[in-house]
Amino acid sequence: MATSKGANTYNRQNWEDSEFPVLCQTCLGDNPYIRMMKEKYGKECKICARPFTVFRWCPGARMRFKKTEVCQTCSKVKNICQTCLLDLEYGLPVQVRDAALKVADTMPKSEVNREFYTQNLEREISDGDIINPIGSMAGKSQTHSDMLLKLARTTPYYKRNRPHICSFWVKGECKRGEECPYRHDKPTDPDDPLADQNIKDRFHGINDPVADKLLKRYSEMPKLEPPEDTAITTLYVGNLGDKVEEKDLKDHFYQFGEIRSINVVPKQQCAFVQFTNRTSAESAAEQSFNKLILKGQRLNIKWGRSQGQQQAPKKDGSDTEAMMEPVPGLPGALPMPPEELGTNYFNLQPPPMIPGFMPRGMPMHMRGPPGGPPGGPPRGPPPMGPYGMRPPRSNFGPPDMRMMPPPPPGVMPMRPPPGMNGVPPTGGVHYPSQDPTRMGAPSAPQN
Amino acid sequence: MPKIKRSRKPPPEGWELIEPTIDELDAKMREAETDPHEGKRKVEAMWPIFRLHHQKSRYIYDLFYRRKAISRELYEYCLKENIADKNLIAKWKKQGYENLCCLRCIQTRDTNFGTNCICRVPKPKLETGKIVECIHCGCRGCSG
Repeated sequence: MATSKGANTYNRQNWEDSEFPVLCQTCLGDNPYIRMMKEKYGKECKICARPFTVFRWCPGARMRFKKTEVCQTCSKVKNICQTCLLDLEYGLPVQVRDAALKVADTMPKSEVNREFYTQNLEREISDGDIINPIGSMAGKSQTHSDMLLKLARTTPYYKRNRPHICSFWVKGECKRGEECPYRHDKPTDPDDPLADQNIKDRFHGINDPVADKLLKRYSEMPKLEPPEDTAITTLYVGNLGDKVEEKDLKDHFYQFGEIRSINVVPKQQCAFVQFTNRTSAESAAEQSFNKLILKGQRLNIKWGRSQGQQQAPKKDGSDTEAMMEPVPGLPGALPMPPEELGTNYFNLQPPPMIPGFMPRGMPMHMRGPPGGPPGGPPRGPPPMGPYGMRPPRSNFGPPDMRMMPPPPPGVMPMRPPPGMNGVPPTGGVHYPSQDPTRMGAPSAPQN
Repeated sequence: MPKIKRSRKPPPEGWELIEPTIDELDAKMREAETDPHEGKRKVEAMWPIFRLHHQKSRYIYDLFYRRKAISRELYEYCLKENIADKNLIAKWKKQGYENLCCLRCIQTRDTNFGTNCICRVPKPKLETGKIVECIHCGCRGCSG
C-alpha cells in the first residue's frame, strides 16, 4: 500500500531534485569564484509550490545572497533564470520576449491544472532530450529578434543584486551603523508603477510594469516608415565619409535583392541605391536603418524620392553646375505665352522667368509646378524622366545640361561631373558638345 | 548570593586577592543574563555573555601565565570551579590564537562552507574600512 507521499511516484507531482541551477550571468555576479550552497527541498517554488533544490550564493562584495526562487521545471518552461525570472538569452522580462517572438502563454495558473501541467512537463524533461525547449518555447526557432536585440542590455546590471533597503534606517533607528549590511538609501517611491510587481505576473508575462515600460520605449524608438508611393525603390544613404565606396554599398545591399543602380555623390557624402523591386528595398531599409555601419561610418538611411523628385532637396545645395555664359549673338529666352492662351490645363502656376538668364540644368526643372498639388502632376511622367523626355517641361529653352547621352537607367540626374571646375580652356562653353570634360571629348582634361 | 563552590575544600591562599574582581565580573554576568531583549537583535543579546566570559578567563590567564601573580594551585582551583574556561585558555597558548574571542568562532562545523568566523580574518587581509561584528560574539577581529 502506498503509505506516504514519497512512496508513490506514479502520476504524482513529485518534489524536484536538481544538480545545478539554471541562472543568468548577472545573478551569478562579477566574481568568477563562487561558493554555492545546495539545499534539497529547501523551499517551495514560487510558481508551482513544489519543494525544490534551493541554491544560494553570494554574487559579489556588498551584494545580498541570492537564491533560486522558482524550480527548474518552471524556469525551463519559460526559458528564464531561476532567480530573476528574466530570459536567459536577452535578459528581458517574459512579457517583452513573448511580445517580440509572438509566443503564447499556455501554462495554466489554477492549482490542479497547473500541477498536471508541470507534472507532464517534468516527465518530458526527464525522459527526452534536454536540448529542445519545452512548453511554450517549443517550436520557436532561434531567430534573433531585432526588437529584443535593441532592447537587451549590453552590460550586466548588478544593481539588482544589491541588498534590500534598511527599514530601520528609513525610520531613523538603525543601530548597526557602518556594519549594517542593508542599504542606507531612500526607499523607492510607492507611487511608482514599478513598485508593485508580482512574481506570478512576471512569470506568466501578464501585467508586468517593467515590460510595459520597455515596450513603450521600443515603440518610441526612431523608425523608418516606408513611403506611401510604392513605386519608390530607392534608398538614400548618408554619412558616407570618404571611406565608403560604391563597391562597399553594392557588396552590402546585394543581399536584399537585385540592385538596379547605385549613384554616389561624394560631395554630399551620400549615395542613392535603387532596387529593382519594392520588397527588396523595404527589407534593405529595415535591416539597415540605424544599424548599418560600413568601415566605421554609421550610415544614415532614408527613403529616396521618385526620379522626378530627386532634385528638390538638392537645389538649394551646392552649386555644382557652373553657369554657362549665354551664347553670344543669340536672343535671350522667349517669354512664356500669356495666361489667356489657356493651355494651363493643370492649373499650374507660371514658372519664374528671368529673361536672359540661361536656365541651369536639373534644378530648374522642378520649379515647373511648385504650387501644384503635391505629388500629383509632377509625378506624371517619372518613368520617362531620366531618358531625356521632358517635353512638357522643357519650355526653358536649351535642353538639359549635364545629361550624359544616353543616361544609364536609374542614374540620378544630380551626378556632378567629375573633376569639374567649370572653366573651359578657351572661349566659352555654350553647348554640351563644347564641354571638354564630356564623354568622348578628344582630349579629356582628366588629371 | 555568593557563588556556589563546587569543592568541599576551602580555596587556596591568594584567593582573597582575586575574589573581589571575580565577584564583580560575576555580578556583571548576572546583569547581562537578566537584561531585557528589547531593541537588540537576537544574536546581539548574547554578545555581552561571551564578552564577560572571555574577560573572566583572560583575568585568570593573565594572572597566572603573564604576571605570575597566583600559584599554580590557585590557578587550577579556578579552572576546576569553572571560573575560567580551560578550553579557551588552551587555545590562547597556541600561536595565532592569543586573542581568540570565543570558541564558537573557530568551530568550522558551524559554518556553511567549513570556514572560521569572519572575526578570525586578520585586518590587513580584510578589505579596508569594513567593520565586522561577528554574529557569535560581536567580536571585531581577534587575530593578528
